[in-house]
This record gives sequence, C-alpha cells and structure tokens, in this order.
Amino acid sequence: MANPLKLYLTCIRNTLEAAMCLQNFPCQEVERHNKPEVELKTSPELLLNPVLICRNEAEKCLIETSINSLRISLKVKQADELENILAKKFLRFLSMRAEAFQVLRRKPVQGYDISFLITNYHCEEMQKQKLIDFIVQFMEDIDKEISELKMSVSTRGRLVASEFLKQFL
Amino acid sequence: MILLQSHSRFLLQTLLNRVQNLEKAIELDHHWVEFDDVRFHVQVSVKNQHILQLSLSLPTPPLETVFIGGLPFGAIEAIKAAYGVIVQILDPPRDGFNLTLKLNLSKLPQNEEHKHTLLVKIASVREVVLGAPLRVILKHLASRTVAPDINQFVALVHRPNESFFLVPQAEKVTVVFPMRFKDSIDIVLATSFLQEFMESRRTTGLSNAPPCLWSHSPPLELKGATDDALSANAGFVTFVIFPRHVEGKKLDRTVWNLSTFHAYVNYHVKCSEGFIHSRMRRRVESMIQALNCAKPDQEKTKKTPHTRSFKRLSVKDGRTNSSS
Repeated sequence: MANPLKLYLTCIRNTLEAAMCLQNFPCQEVERHNKPEVELKTSPELLLNPVLICRNEAEKCLIETSINSLRISLKVKQADELENILAKKFLRFLSMRAEAFQVLRRKPVQGYDISFLITNYHCEEMQKQKLIDFIVQFMEDIDKEISELKMSVSTRGRLVASEFLKQFL
Repeated sequence: MILLQSHSRFLLQTLLNRVQNLEKAIELDHHWVEFDDVRFHVQVSVKNQHILQLSLSLPTPPLETVFIGGLPFGAIEAIKAAYGVIVQILDPPRDGFNLTLKLNLSKLPQNEEHKHTLLVKIASVREVVLGAPLRVILKHLASRTVAPDINQFVALVHRPNESFFLVPQAEKVTVVFPMRFKDSIDIVLATSFLQEFMESRRTTGLSNAPPCLWSHSPPLELKGATDDALSANAGFVTFVIFPRHVEGKKLDRTVWNLSTFHAYVNYHVKCSEGFIHSRMRRRVESMIQALNCAKPDQEKTKKTPHTRSFKRLSVKDGRTNSSS
C-alpha cells in the first residue's frame, strides 16, 4: 500500500512548497506586536484559503496559511483500540516536548491529532526545503512508529502466552 | 525474567545470610511488601540466635472467599507437610499478620543440597499458604476424585479484594479469572495479550497445554456468582486443567502459575508500557536530530578573553573559495 501513501505525501509536499512563503509582518492592530496571523484570524486579507488533503475518512491533513505563519494539522489513522491508545500516547508525548521541536504546537487543533505552527522566524533560521522534508519525514515516522509499537505488543503477548502455557506441559 | 519465581528472593537471601553466619550474633527486624499486597516480617533476637521468626500477611479476601482462622483452607496441613519439624506455627500470629512461624535453624539438614532446597521451600512460603486450597483441589484431580465438602463453585483470593473461581469436577477443573485493571491503557494492552493466549494455544507443540478461552462476558460456569464478582473490565480467562497437568512434579508448578496468573499478566503489561516509553523517547531524539539538520551550519564565534578583535590570517584562509 505504498502508492497511496506516496501520493498523499507528494500532494502535501507540493502544497507546503507553495504555502511556505512567509514574511515578517508586524501586527496591524497592536503597536510593536508581532503575532502569527494564522492563529488569530482577525484580518481576512492576511489569510489564504485553507487546504484540506484527505487520504481516506480516517487520515487527513489541514494546511492553513497566512502572511507570516503556517499551520499544519494532521489526523493519524487509528484502526483499532490498541492503535488508538498507542497513537494518543505517542502524540501526547511529542506535544509535551514541543519546545524541543520548535515548530510543533503544544495542543492539536480541534478535530485533529497533532499540529505544527511554522512562522517566518523559523523560515529565516532553517532552510525551507529541509523543513518541508522534516514534516513529510515526520508523518512517515509516526505511521512507522505506531505500527512497530503495535507489532512489539503482539509479539510480546505471544511470547508471554507461550511461555506460560509451556509451564503446563 | 519472563516467569515469576515462587520463592521470594529477599527472604531467601536473608535466610542464606543467616545460616552462613550462624555464629555471629546480630539483630534482625525487616518488614517488606511483595506484589499483590503480601507482607513479610523477619525477626531474629540476640538472645536466641538460631530461632528466626517469620510472619506473613495475606491480601484481604473479598466476600465470596472464606478464610478459616485467618488462613485459606488446607494451609496449616500444607505448612506441616512442607516444612516438618523445623517450623513451628505460633498461635496467635503477630499483630497485623495472618501467620507467624518459628524456624529453628539448628534443625536444618546437614547435607548442603538438602539444606538449600529446604531454605528455598521456606522462601516459597507464599506459594505454600496462598496456594494451599488450589493444591488440595488439584491433588484430588490427579487421583480423579473430588475433595469432600467442597462447593460446586470455589472462590480463592489472589489479589486484595479480588478472587478467582474454580469449578472442580472428577475429570477436570475449570478455572476462571475475572481480569480487572485500574488504568485504561492497561486494559487495552491486557486485552490484546489475553487474546494471544487463545491464539498461541493453536500452535503445534502446545496442544497438550490446558485449553484456554478469553471472553468479554462472564462464562456459563460463573452463573451463581455475585454481580461484584462478575464485573471485569478486561474480560474473563478460562483454563481447563486436566489430570495430566497435575501429575507428580507438575503439581507445584501448576499451583504457582495459576495462583499468580493475574500478577504475571500485570507484570508484563507494565514491562510493555516501559518499553513503549523508551522507544518513544528514542524516536523523539532522532526526530529532533533530523530537525537540527535543517538548520544551516552557523559560524562559531568564541568570546574568550584571549580572542583578538581582528582575525589573524593563515595559509588556510588564503586557499578558500570566493563564496566563503
């Protein structure tokens, strides 16, 4: 099932390349303040149309852009109960460490599992291409990590069960 | 260590230390707690160096389990059978404990191997006492009979205020464990583990193991139980034990494995969670490293007192290209 994933990621990458044109923009309402406009959404002339990319009903990506900031929200696939708690645990773990990641938002946007907030300052500090690579790599990493965790749990379960039952032989 | 061992390591260590240093006069007074709220107390006084007092406290039994004289039925006979003349049961037991034993260390067998085996057996006092009723029922199964004056439905304690159920019959004993966990993540992990029990029995080589089933709703064998006993958030596990699982040396192992089944699953659920945590931490570190690669290399400017305000030219600088 690599192809649908690749198409999804390519689509997101192209959208990000188009959306990540951020420049410094001091706040219009308050003097000497500089805020990420995508979070406030007060002035419609500073915002672009949000783009929603859906892979299926369970997985989607919302990209909202403004003149000085960009917000990416992801919803991760959760097939069963175990994947549900593993994804929740892992994404909460990441969000708690948002300071270390700089571009991560501490709380996900309503309706999504994890969110990024990229401002013009990040674009000045880091190379744009590498930042986009990082986001796409991040999405692949999350999927891989959750499926690996699920496999480790079922492998351990099988080992525990067979060791226990072997005791009776 | 995948399986839980029947002897308490700390108790065994204490006994071995004491036996090896019997000439040295020391004072011992240790209190400790082991899994599922089983408490131990060991005391040696300076006056009687070869007497060791061992006290055991068991988890609180729920309403459906009955303790006779503070101990599960068959416990006193089991202690006498396992330890013989070395151990004397003190009545009444120490305050706050269900059982107090007086060990006479000078009466231990001289043979090193026998002595060690007996000390390991003393360190497994938990298995002897808590597993006594289960042992009685399974011993009768080995001889294909049913113990006299046993109800159709027996409840035995294995955790504080929780019990598991046995339906003893002449040709088989059905054991039902209601699995309960406090944390919601524990419940999901345990459910996936318990479903593996059903799956792994189908693999070849394990077809002689007791048949086991996992179900979300209480099985038919528990029809007479109270509603409290029937609530289990991680389902019910049923094992069917046949005489071939309890013949000869297998009896002790089967008793221990069944008495600590819930503790075993709990232990592995916690290990799994710890493993998940360390994996996540490793993944986070690698992601942060990937992010740091996105930053272009910054020129290091060291502000030491020896730095001069102008850069000294060297041969290397003369050879760099025009872009730097």
